[in-house]
This record gives sequence, structure tokens and C-alpha cells, in this order.
Amino acid sequence: MKIPLSWLREYVDFDDTPEGLADKLTFAGVEVEGLATVGGGVEGVVVGEVTAIEKHPNADKLVLCRVNHGAAGEPWVVCGAPNAVVGGKYPFAPLGVVLPCGITIEKRKVRGTASEGMLCAEDELGISDDHTGLMELDARWAPGTALAEVMGPPETVLDVEITPDRPDCLCLVGLAREVAALYGTRLKMPANDAAESATPVETATSVKVEDLVDCPRYTARILRDVKVGPSPDWMKRRLEAAGIRAINNIVDITNYVMLETGQPLHAFDQKLLEGGRIVVRHPAPGEKIVTLDGVDRELTPEMLVIADAAKPMAVAGVMGGEFSGIGDDTTEVLLESASFRPVAIRDTSKKLELMSESAYRFIRGVDPELAEMASRRAAGLMVELASAKLLAGVVDVRGEPRKPWTVTCRPRRLATLLGMAPTAEEIAKIFESLELKVLSCTPELIEVEVPTFRGDLTREADLIEEYARLHLKNLPPVRSKATVVPDADDKPAQAQQRLREVLAGLGLQQIMNYSFLDRDLLDLFNREGAAGRVELANPLTADHTVLRDSLLPQMVETIGLNVSRQVAQAALFETGRIFRLDGEGHPIECDQVAVGLLGPVGRTGMDRFGPVGEEDMFLWIKGLWEQLATALKLRDASLRPADRPWSQPGRGMEVAVAGVAVGWLGLLRPDIAKEWRIHEPLGLFEAAVQPLVKDVGAMQELTPPPSYPSIRRDAALIVDGSVRHEQVLEIARRAAPPELEKIELFDIYQGKNLGDGRKSLAYAFTYRSPTGTLTDEAANEFQGRINAALKEQLPAEIREG
Amino acid sequence: MNLQDIENGTARALAELAAAEDLKALEALRVRYIGRNGLLPKLMQGLKDVPAADKPAMGQALNRFKTAVTDAVAGRKAALEAAARDARTGSLDISLPGRWARQGRLHPIQQLIDRTTDIFRRMGFTVANGPDIETEYYNFDALNTPPDHVSRDLADTFYLPGGLLLRTQTSAVQARYMETRQPPVRIVCPGRCYRRDTTDATHSANFHQIEGLYVDEAVSLADLKSDLDHFARELMGPGVRTRFRTHFFPFTEPSVEVDFSCHMCGGGGCRVCKQSGWIEIMGAGMVDPNVFAQVGYDPEAVTGYAFGMGIERLAMILFGIDDIRRLYENDGRYLAQF
Repeated sequence: MKIPLSWLREYVDFDDTPEGLADKLTFAGVEVEGLATVGGGVEGVVVGEVTAIEKHPNADKLVLCRVNHGAAGEPWVVCGAPNAVVGGKYPFAPLGVVLPCGITIEKRKVRGTASEGMLCAEDELGISDDHTGLMELDARWAPGTALAEVMGPPETVLDVEITPDRPDCLCLVGLAREVAALYGTRLKMPANDAAESATPVETATSVKVEDLVDCPRYTARILRDVKVGPSPDWMKRRLEAAGIRAINNIVDITNYVMLETGQPLHAFDQKLLEGGRIVVRHPAPGEKIVTLDGVDRELTPEMLVIADAAKPMAVAGVMGGEFSGIGDDTTEVLLESASFRPVAIRDTSKKLELMSESAYRFIRGVDPELAEMASRRAAGLMVELASAKLLAGVVDVRGEPRKPWTVTCRPRRLATLLGMAPTAEEIAKIFESLELKVLSCTPELIEVEVPTFRGDLTREADLIEEYARLHLKNLPPVRSKATVVPDADDKPAQAQQRLREVLAGLGLQQIMNYSFLDRDLLDLFNREGAAGRVELANPLTADHTVLRDSLLPQMVETIGLNVSRQVAQAALFETGRIFRLDGEGHPIECDQVAVGLLGPVGRTGMDRFGPVGEEDMFLWIKGLWEQLATALKLRDASLRPADRPWSQPGRGMEVAVAGVAVGWLGLLRPDIAKEWRIHEPLGLFEAAVQPLVKDVGAMQELTPPPSYPSIRRDAALIVDGSVRHEQVLEIARRAAPPELEKIELFDIYQGKNLGDGRKSLAYAFTYRSPTGTLTDEAANEFQGRINAALKEQLPAEIREG
Repeated sequence: MNLQDIENGTARALAELAAAEDLKALEALRVRYIGRNGLLPKLMQGLKDVPAADKPAMGQALNRFKTAVTDAVAGRKAALEAAARDARTGSLDISLPGRWARQGRLHPIQQLIDRTTDIFRRMGFTVANGPDIETEYYNFDALNTPPDHVSRDLADTFYLPGGLLLRTQTSAVQARYMETRQPPVRIVCPGRCYRRDTTDATHSANFHQIEGLYVDEAVSLADLKSDLDHFARELMGPGVRTRFRTHFFPFTEPSVEVDFSCHMCGGGGCRVCKQSGWIEIMGAGMVDPNVFAQVGYDPEAVTGYAFGMGIERLAMILFGIDDIRRLYENDGRYLAQF
């Protein structure tokens, strides 16, 4: 909300700079978001009248304007604005003038034609951001009049943000009340007396309210002999500084009084009201109205309209109808000042997608007790500024009046909550400065009567806040009460942190993707999962419609994005939540971890530049899982071959913990990878976090370092190409003595000299006894047993080392 | 024998050692100068004939001779051995790029979540978690925000079928946590939140917050200030101060917005703080009695404070990130810099 300071000063005195005021208001809860001076810095700019317009010889979108600016000679200027007309009056900056926007006006050629000065738009004069056309000036100003005179003295405008709990501050009087409390001065209410004629209002109109819940109060006054015309300059300037366009004196007065008091007002042309009367009612089925903005709107029965005897004339509290407004020929005005139920207005405004200054205030709450006073104030201005005759009295239809209520505040409670200990008298003084009536005040209890405009003050906590917000700078320094809460436990969070640190330690970069995405992307990876996905009921964009049920699609998408940007290697991980529907259709969520590998990320040496085979990539993603499981101290992790919809057949494995499947790893199907033009093997891993981190921090049984040396025997097995490592292990372990400590594969070789379809697997076998040093003979004997078993059962040809 | 002879002798010996062409020649020189029957033992013996007044100086000179020759022999030996090794195996190009498995990194948002939770952990907070999918009750009603409350308009919410929603704030964890235990409560809750905002340079439809809640006997607004002062210093630097501005949140009363003095300019005004000297960091306040009533706490027996801040915003301020979308773009070259 924009607050012109000179206007504010009409209701309250304060001795401070605009910056000082802004600072105080901000701390007290009225955030000043901007402080701007409008209208200064236009020295030298004068009223210019366009006396002739010619086409620019070299440009279609430019014209030449001859400008009478009250001095000798009429310069030609080049102008690109769409609204320049002969006879129009606009701000004119002659040569040599420096505009607020920083431009110095010089004689220059525009597309080959000399331009001697400039006709200005509002933004160039620092008045607003408007650059849609020249600023149009009233015809009565003589050419050559200083623009400073036209615009009046410079105005400082505060841009304030009012929080939803303080609708009483959505007006100048409300803000002035705050300022008075902050500076210890008094609020000066605007005059609200109006001379009335002898004719009672009841002879001219009547009001019927059919729903006193949605419309707790409706007042109407009648003004006759109204002369519609422009408002005086002071009023126009204030409205425009506050961001409201001046229309005519009657409409301007309703807006002016709304800004002043916070009470939205509406002026009807009384002669357009059928029957001359008002009915506040719900629309009949199918009823429609064309609102002031020219839109034909369908009304629904829960909305509220202001109707005459026959038809809706306004959407209550939101916007008037197109044909009910004040025109130049209006002579009789029905002035509405009413109050409406906030939620009813909110629902209507939402449904019609229609917001207005009036609706904004009603949604936040307007004190019903304000209606009559504001109406009187506006009527007085109409009498004064539109020579109107006000009929006597007011039609005032209402439910129960809102009465002031009492709230108590215990100074001791205030001290506990704020950590400062003012006396009861000091607290009471603050309340009084805010126009709360102190009924009684003892060291134990302060009792106040809350005026009806402070609907936000209903409890002790609210009163304590009133004290606090004016003393936030005085909070005493205290020592932190940092406490150890005995049974609080965040080990699960620590375990997750450990998981992420391990993954980073293993060389992976963490990424973060959105929780929602396009369902096509999920389908690409797992079409069968579609039924169990959680969809947004009100998505914002077409690419964010469903919650992810796997981290892998975005992982691959991320790798694809990097590949498209020439980042051809990726070693990434993400931890995040996935969502799906359980058997009964309820959404459940689960913390997951995913890894994606692309390129020679498993190598450290010069061979980084060599191509990456499927075996490389598969063993890297598998090795990464093994490293992770080791670092997380998982003792019951296992793998078994299993394909996923996204994995290459035969290149996928299921990750299990304690025998329960918790995730998968493997190579991405090439046809999916191709979507991102990825043609190299891409390794993926995804698992649930919870089971992976269950043993983090658990104690484990330790084995002391062995007391006796070990003996190693090597054996190269020449076997058929189809023989698998795990077969070798199984046979060897079955044949081995207890002294066999470990078996390590250290070389795989395939070559012509071995014969077609054969390969050599080289293993190191380590033997150790816990009770003594083994002899060479013993080791030979152990190895002999294993070799014999391998020879026979694989079968294998063996070269011993 | 005099001092000058010894100095000259040392120089000569060192020159000869430096010129030794192989290990054998070097060994011969070593034996000649400092070997058991070499020059040094002889000179040591000669010391007894030196006048008593000159003895200390002469003795020191001989010691220097011994040290210099010993060092020179060792140095030359190492050099000859290295040359011999390089002759066998070729020289090592120590300008080659280093080789070791890469170190990964945490995402900047994660780094800030970890940093902030670590600071709060040191202040006695523990980490609590809540679901991303929430009920209207925990996200709004339990937080003193009834259905017709204006502030439900403040946050535009993503809804799911069945009336569920994606939490708009980590404050949703407050009631969940308090329902399950008695005071004292001292928790922080980092987590993901969702708002139906059109994504632009400063808005993201999915973002992270960290929520704090402390409930105990006689917790005051001054306690909140002092704890946040400490947090501000830990996070942004020793000189950083905080200030409270009155604000409105449905679930706290009084409510404040918390500014930190600018860590870049120290409060004098710069580009980062838009010349104001202060940066808005979080919302906070004293827990509203209605929130306590919802979870069955007696507002007369306990009081509490709560605060919440946006992690992305913090990341943008601390790391100087110009566009929030960069955080979710996941360009490896960008992330690798954090």
C-alpha cells in the first residue's frame, strides 16, 4: 500500500525524517518496503502543447511534433509515443534540462531529423514506471507552465506491507494511529460532519438485506443535485500518489475515503436503480452481471449481490456492475457503505478470479462500526466538492452491533514470555497509546477494553504482542539456556548424514532434483509403476504433475543434461524421498539413495581415456555398492541376479539386506540411454536408505591381528569361457581346509594361445593357522586338494605359481 | 697447524667430494678425510700440542670440518645413487598430474543443512523429521490456521487426492513432535517444502527449510534472541548481529522477522544487503498458546519459541548464487565448486 507522507501528516504529527519513520514502522510490524520521492527533480520541464504533427521522413513508428512551450519559437521534436495528438498537452523538456531518469536533453538527430527537446512519459520524470505513452496533462494548463506547479510539491511515498492480522492498518487513519503510538502524539480524525437537507433519506430509498450473516451491515445515503466533474488537483494528486487513477469527483471521493478510513464505499447512480432501492441478496440460478471491467460474469447462489428491484447492480464487496456506475450525467447518488463476511467475499473473489481494493479489504476484515462514519465523511466531501445536497439521515440495516470487549493481561506473564519486566503502569501506558481503554491496572492484572477496529486483539497473548512490538529493540541480552534433552535421539538423522559423507568420500557428487516430474519420464523407466504413483491434484506446470517413485529417471536425465553440455563423465548420487500409493491407495513416502555412473570414473590413471566396457561399468557400480556396504558396516547385505524394467537383461542385480530386497543395481538399457544420446554403459544403483544405515554406529566384534604368518599359493586356472568366478569360489571353499583364509582373483586373461573360448583366471590362496606357523609342505598339500577339486569339477587346467 | 689451514682444507675437501664421479671415488675420499686412519683423527691427535688458549677455537674448527665433510659425503652419495637409478629406469617426471581417486562433494543445499543442524546440535537441539506429504491438520489447523484464516491464502499449496497436501513449511513437524512427547522439546527439523510458486530466479516450487522449536518452562523472546545471536555468529561470522522486526505468523505470537547484519560489509551497506546493512534470514516468534492447546500442552506451564528459515535463500546469500534454478540444474561443473 502506498502512503503519501503529506497526506499521513494530516492525521498525525511526528517529528522525524521519512527514513526514521520508515524504520520505526518497520520494527513495529508495518514493513516499509520502499521509500520514494515523486515529483521532484523536474526543474525546467514545462507544459508543452502539440500544435502540429508530421510524419517522420525516415521512420514509420516516429512522428515529428511541433511544441508550443510558452517561449519564443516552436521547436520540432521527434516522438515515438502512440498518444501524441494535436492540441494535447504533455510535459516538455527543452534543451539543456536534466531529467530525473538521468537523461540530459541535447539537440540531436533521430533517424536523420533534428529533435530539439523531448516530450516525456511518466517513467522519464520519475513519477511511475509507466512508459506506455506520453504523460497527459489537463487542458487548462497554459503552455510554459512549470511542471512542478502542475504536479504540486514533491511527495514522499512510503510503500508499506500490512500483515493479514492488521486490516485496521490498511488506511491512513489506521497508520496514523500507529504513528501516534510510536511518537507519543495524538491521532486527528478527519472531519465527518455533513450538512443535511430537510428531506429524509427514507423518502428516496429503502434497503433490504436478505442475509445478515454474509452482510452484517448495509448503510445508504442519498445525494441529489450532484455535479459530476473532475476532482480538485490536491485530491487527484493524493490518489495518484497512492496508486489509484482519478476518474471523477464522486468516484474519487469514494476511493479517497476508502484510503483514508479503510471502509470501501460504492456510489450508485440512483436513477439507474430500478425502484430506486437496494436489495442485498444471493443471485438466482443462472443470474449474470457485467462488471466494471467489462467482463460478463456467471453468478452462483452462494455469492452475494447488491441488486435493485430487478437485477444485480454489483457483486457485493468486490466490484460494481458496468451499468450502475457514476457517469458525467449522474445527478443523484446512492452511497453504499457496508460490511460483508470476509470468507464470503474471499470465496466469491476466488471463484470469479476478481480482486479489487474493496475485496482485498473486506477479505481481511472491515470493522462494521466504521460504515456509518465513513459514509458521513464521504457524503460531506460530496456536498463540498460536487455541490451535492445530502438527504437527512441514513438507511442503516444491520444485525447485532459489534461492541468493545475486554481482555486482561498479567504483567508477570508478559515478563515470562518476553524476558523483560516492565511495570504494570508502563505496560498500561503502551496500551493507552494504542487507544485501548485501560479499565483497571494493578501489578497483577491489567484490564483493557478493546475498540472494535482491533479485531486481532482477543487474548492475553495478543496484548503482550502489542507491548513487545514497540519494544523489540530493548530485548535484554541473556545467556543461552541451551539444554540437553535427556531422551532426545536423532541417530537416524546422523546415520543418513553418514551415508552421504561416505558416498562423497567414495568420489560421488551429490545432486538434488525436484520431487515432482513429468509422468512420461517415470514411464520410460518403469511403465508398470504407473498405477501406484501419487499425482498432484493441482499441478502448476505440465512437466511437474506426479511425485517421483524412483530417483533414477532424474538421475539419468541429469547425466544426460551434463553430457549435452560436454561433461561426459558422471559419478553422482542423490538422497531424496520417493512417493507411491500403498495397497489401499494411501500415499506413502520413503527415503531413497541413488547413484549414477558414466564414463571412466572407476579409473585413476592414464587409461581414463580408453573406452569403458560393460564389464568395467558393471563392476564399478557393483564395487561401489560393496564399498558402501562395508563403510556402513552392513553385515547381512547380499546380491542376486535380477532384472529391472530399466536394466539391461542379465546386467541387473537385486540388493538385499537381511534377505529382504531393498534396491537394485545394474546397467541402464541402451534404448533408454539413447533418449539422451548416451551411447556408453551407464551404471545405476538405487535403494531404500533405512535398511542401509541400520548398522551405522553399531559395535562389531573385533578380530585381533593374527599371531602367525600366512603362506600364499597362486594358481592359474585355464577354463572354459563360461566358467564363473563364483563357481571357482564354491568348489575351492568346499575342498579347502579351515586354514584357507582368503581367495583373491588377480588376473583374467583371454588369448589365442589358450585356445578358442577359453580363459585364464589367476587366483591367490592365502593359508594361515591360528595355532602355529604353517610349513611349506602343509600349504602345498592344502593347495593340492583345492587344485584337484577344481581340475575335476570345473574342469580346469592348472598352472601353479 | 692453524685455523686458516683448517678452513682452506675444508674448502678443498668439499670441492673434491662434489667432483667425485662414482661411489668408489667418493668412498676413497671419505676414508682419506674422516676415515679411521684419515686426516681428521690425525689432526685431533695434534690438538694436544696446541697452546691451551687456542685449543677451544681449534677444536670447534675441527668439528665443523668433520660435519661439513660428513654431510657432503652423504649428499653426494644420494645424488650419485639417484643418477644411477635414473640411468637404469629413466627419470621421474614429477610435473605429471597427481593420481588418486577423486573426492566427491555434497550439494550446496545439503552443505548448508548440515552446517546449520550442526550448529544447532551444539546448542542442544536434536534433529526431528516429518513427512513431505501432510494432512491439512498438521500443516494448518494444528498451527492455529483454521480453514477460513487469511494466511491460508498466503501459501498456495499443492494438493494430493484425498485432501492431503505437500507441506508448505517445516513447521508442520511441530505438532507431530509435541504430540508424542512432553516438554522440554528442543528440536530442529530440516526438510523439503513445496509451494505453488512459478519458478523464477528467486522462487522454486520445491525448496528446503529448517525449523526450530524450543519448549520449556519460562522460555522467553529474549532467549530466542540470544540463541539466534549465537547461531548468526556461528554461521556467518563473529561480528554478525541480529535484529527482530514485528511480523505476523498464525502459529507464533509475538511474531518477528529476523535480520542478520550483513556479513559482507559488516552493516555498512553493500550490494549483498542491497545497501541496508541487514539481510532478512528467518521468521520466528513465541509459540501461540493455541498451538500448545492443540497438542495438549498447558500454555500456563510452558512457553516456547519457534523459528524457520529457507535454506536456498541462505545458500544464495552465503555462496553468492544469482539464480535459485542453478541449485536444481545439477551441472557437474557448477556443483564441483562448492
